[in-house]
Amino acid sequence: MTMHPMLDCDAVMRQLWDYLDGELTPERMKQIGAHLAVCQRCYPQYQFERRFLDVLAAARNDHPALDQLRLRVMAALKDEGLAGVG
Amino acid sequence: MLHSGKTSRDEQFRAEALPWFDDVARFALSLARDRDEADDLTQETFLRALRSWHQYTPGTECRRWLFTICRNHFLRGRERDKRVVSYDDPEVEALAAASIHAAAANRGLGDIFERVDLGDAVTHALDALPAPFREAVVSVDLEDLAYDAAAEVLGVPIGTVRSRLFRGRRLLQKSLLAYATDAGLAVGLDTIRVEDKG
Ligand SMILES: [Zn+2]
Repeated sequence: MTMHPMLDCDAVMRQLWDYLDGELTPERMKQIGAHLAVCQRCYPQYQFERRFLDVLAAARNDHPALDQLRLRVMAALKDEGLAGVG
Repeated sequence: MLHSGKTSRDEQFRAEALPWFDDVARFALSLARDRDEADDLTQETFLRALRSWHQYTPGTECRRWLFTICRNHFLRGRERDKRVVSYDDPEVEALAAASIHAAAANRGLGDIFERVDLGDAVTHALDALPAPFREAVVSVDLEDLAYDAAAEVLGVPIGTVRSRLFRGRRLLQKSLLAYATDAGLAVGLDTIRVEDKG
């Protein structure tokens, strides 16, 4: 098992969301990934947060009447002088 | 064939702005949460984008640019909450999230996000979030913007996006956990496990 003396569980917890969002430096991403792979304390929370973010992403709802709205906006853009629509 | 400036503007607009129509319509609905207002907002966003197309650098992130126009227009004429809100340190929020996970695990809800269909509950919880948190969560978690793009769209520093995002996520988790508990999905600490005595 590779030890990462610079990275304890507390440090991983503090940056877990940044890690899940891919917002850390490549080096830090690697360090945290390596910690999660071997840490039984951090891994379950990582799983919990990852699934939470999946559930959130799935809550994205498309506009319920897109075609109708598109027609309306294209007509307005045409009135505004946009060529090649409608 | 020679293109006039307008022809090239119209071609660029059709090629770069219009493909984001669905995204802008959805984002407007997330901001306004009222269909009529959201539809006006979508239309106004594209009209403004067309009029100020010269300010857009072709080939850059048009979706981000359109979202920024959309949100700026949304804020116009709206009394912006000017109160100074003190946001917690994002890292404190991240640690607080760890205690939510611990609480969930204690109640037998450690797998809540894979076990329970939370679709409507998530929508309701999002609607109930105060606007600054909801906007950050919608931008990053639903619309998949990077922190720097969300900062530009929301007109705040990256650190503020991060604080609001983390706080928003934590509030959502708390409310989803409360929902699951109310729905009887939790295993209370007072639940007595009856052993089969044979
Ligand atoms: Zn750990």
